[in-house]
Amino acid sequence: MWRSRRKLMVLPLALAAFFMAACGGGGGEGGGSGDGGEVVNIGYSGPLSGGASLYGENVLSGIEMAVEDLNEEGVEIDGQPVTFEIASLDDRYLPNEAATNAQRLVQQDDAPVVFIPHSGGIFAAQSINTDRNEFLLGAYSSDPAILEQENPLTMMIPPRFDNYMEPFVGTTMDEFGDSLGLIPTESEYGQEWTDQVTEEWEAQGGEVLSNNGVDYTTTTDYAGPVTQALSEDPDVLFIGGPSQPTALVIEAARNQGFEGGFIVMDQAKVEEMEEFTSEENINGSVGVMPLIESDEAGTEDFVTRYEEEISEDRLPVSEVGYNYQAMHVVAKAMELAGSTDDPQAIRENIEPALAEVEDEYKVINFPEGFTEEGHLAGPVVATFVEDGEYTELEVPQEQ
Amino acid sequence: MELFLQQLVNAIALGSVYSLAALGLTLVFGVLRIPNLAHGALYMIGAYVTYFALTSYGIPYIVAIGISAAVLALIGVIVERLVFHPLRNAPHTHHLIAAVGVLFFLQSGAQVLWGSEFREMPSPFTGIVNVFGLNIGQQRLVVIFASILVMVALYLFLKKTVPGQTIEAIEQDRTGASLVGIDANRVSMMTFAISAALAAIAASLVAPINLVFPTMGEALNLKVFAIIILGGLGSIPGAIVGGFALALAEVFSSTYISNAFSEAIGFLFLLVVLAVRPTGLFSKGA
Repeated sequence: MWRSRRKLMVLPLALAAFFMAACGGGGGEGGGSGDGGEVVNIGYSGPLSGGASLYGENVLSGIEMAVEDLNEEGVEIDGQPVTFEIASLDDRYLPNEAATNAQRLVQQDDAPVVFIPHSGGIFAAQSINTDRNEFLLGAYSSDPAILEQENPLTMMIPPRFDNYMEPFVGTTMDEFGDSLGLIPTESEYGQEWTDQVTEEWEAQGGEVLSNNGVDYTTTTDYAGPVTQALSEDPDVLFIGGPSQPTALVIEAARNQGFEGGFIVMDQAKVEEMEEFTSEENINGSVGVMPLIESDEAGTEDFVTRYEEEISEDRLPVSEVGYNYQAMHVVAKAMELAGSTDDPQAIRENIEPALAEVEDEYKVINFPEGFTEEGHLAGPVVATFVEDGEYTELEVPQEQ
Repeated sequence: MELFLQQLVNAIALGSVYSLAALGLTLVFGVLRIPNLAHGALYMIGAYVTYFALTSYGIPYIVAIGISAAVLALIGVIVERLVFHPLRNAPHTHHLIAAVGVLFFLQSGAQVLWGSEFREMPSPFTGIVNVFGLNIGQQRLVVIFASILVMVALYLFLKKTVPGQTIEAIEQDRTGASLVGIDANRVSMMTFAISAALAAIAASLVAPINLVFPTMGEALNLKVFAIIILGGLGSIPGAIVGGFALALAEVFSSTYISNAFSEAIGFLFLLVVLAVRPTGLFSKGA
C-alpha cells in the first residue's frame, strides 16, 4: 500500500518538474551563436503568464525578431563584434515586479536597456533607472504621462494616445451623430482613455451618455452592459480592451440592433477583432492602423517572417512591429555611441540613429524624430473601417 | 420595461452558468469538506476539451460537450486520487494548499500546452431570436435550457438512483454511511467526477458567448465560492438559488444603480445574508 502510494506521488512531481522546465526554457532564447566577441543582454520585463501574457509575448517576439536580424547581419560596436541576447523575466503585469525585474536584469545580466510594455511598470522603473544602476528604459505604452516624469533615460516607443482623440471623435461624430455611449474596459488605462474621449467629445459639441464600462478580463457575458448602453440610444460607442473581448462587445451591440460607429481604444487591434466577429460588424470603427495594412518598406517581408517564425494563426499586430523597430533603433544608437554599456551615450544617439536604420526594418509608422522628453515621434496613420476597407486617417501630432 | 426584460434574460443566462459551476463545488464540499479552489481551473480545462473536440475533430457541439464532461470526470477522479485522497487524514489547511497547487498546475499547464491566446468557440447556435421585441441570442437560450436539463438530471440522479443516494448518505453522516456498507472511497471519486463534469458543461455552454483562455476560470472561481457560501456550504438548492441570486443582483444593480458598483454589490448582498443567517440561506445547520 505504502509503496503504491509513493509511486503515485512521484507522477505529479515529475509532471510539475516537466512544466517548470518548460516554463523556464522560454527565457534565454533569441541569441545567435556569437563566434567570440561581446555579448550584450537586452532586458525585457513584461507579462508572460496570466491574462495579459499574449500581449507580453507579442512585444517580446518583436524584440526577438530584431535581435535575430542584428545577429545575422553582424553588428560591430567600437570595433568589436557584438552578439545580442535577450534576458526576459515575467512581471505578471505588476508595477513593483517590473521594477524588481529591471533591477535584476541590470545587475545580473548587465543589461544596458530594459524594455517594459505597461505604464505601471514604466513608472516604477523610472524611479530607479537613474540611480546607481543606470539603464535606458524602452517604454512601450502610449500613455503620455510617462513623458511628464521628465526621466532622462526613457525612450517612449508607440504614438501617444492623446493625439488619436481629435480625429477619432471628429470622424465618428460627422459620420454617425453626436451622442456617445461608453463601454470601455475598466483598467487604469481604460479610465484615462475614457476621460480623454469624454473631454474631446464634449469639446466638439457632442453629448456623452453614462459610463457602462466593465472589466474585459473578468466579464462572463457582455450582453448586460451592452443592453444598458444601448437603452440610451447612442450614435457612437466608445469601446476597447484586449482585442478579442472587444470583438465580443461589438458582436453583442450589433446583435442587439446597434447601427452606429465605434471608437476603438488603441489596445484593441481591428485586424485581430476580425477573427472573432464578422467584418461587417466592424464597419464604422475608428482605431489604430493594422500593421499588415501599413505601407512601410519592410512591412511585407516582416509579415511573412512572422508567419514563418512566430505564429501561423496569429497576425503580427502593431506592438510586435513597434518594438521590433525600437530594438533596431537602440542597436544603431549603440553603434553611433560606440558603447554598449553607457545608457546616457546611447540615449544621446537615438535621434541620429533614426536616419541610419535601413528601410527594410521599417514596418509601421516609423518615427522621424526623438523629442526632448524622450518620445519616438513621427507622422501617424490610423484607420476608419468603411465597407470592409481600411481607409487612412491622418493623426495630427501635437505635443 | 423592454430594458428590464432584456436584462432579465441576460441575468437568467448568467445565473444558469453560475449555478451549474457552483453545484459541482458545493457537492465536493458537502461530501469531502474540501474547498476545491481548483474548480475554476477544471472549468477552464473543460472549455478547452470542448473547443478541441469541435475544431480539431469536427465533433458536433452537443456531443463535444458530452465528451468534455466525460474527460473532465476522468480528470476529476485523477485529481481526487493523486491529490486529495492521500491527504484525507491531513489537517484542512493541507487541502487548501493542495487545491491552490492544482489550480496553478492546470493553469500554467494550459498556457504551456495551448498558449495564452484567446480562442473563440464556434457554436451552431448563432442566430438571434426575437421574442416580444427582445433580441435574444440562440446560444443564451441553449445555456438556459441545457442548464435546467442538467440540474433536473442531477436532482433525479441524487434522489432516485442508488449511487446518487450514497452521495447524499455520505454527505449527511459519514460514519453512519460507512456502517451500512457504503464505500466512501468510491463516493469520493464519483463526487469529484460529477463535480468536474458539471464544471465542464458550464464552461462549454458559456464559452461561445465568451472566449476560451487559460485564466478564464479565475473570475468565476471567486464568484462560485461566494455563491455556495451564500446558499449554504454543501447545499444543492442553495447553490442553484445562490447562482441566480448573484447573477440577478449583479445585472440589476448595474442597470439601475451603478455599473462600477455591480461587482461589489454581489458581495455586499453576501455580507447582508451572512449577517442575518451566518450559515447561508439553505444550510442544514452543519
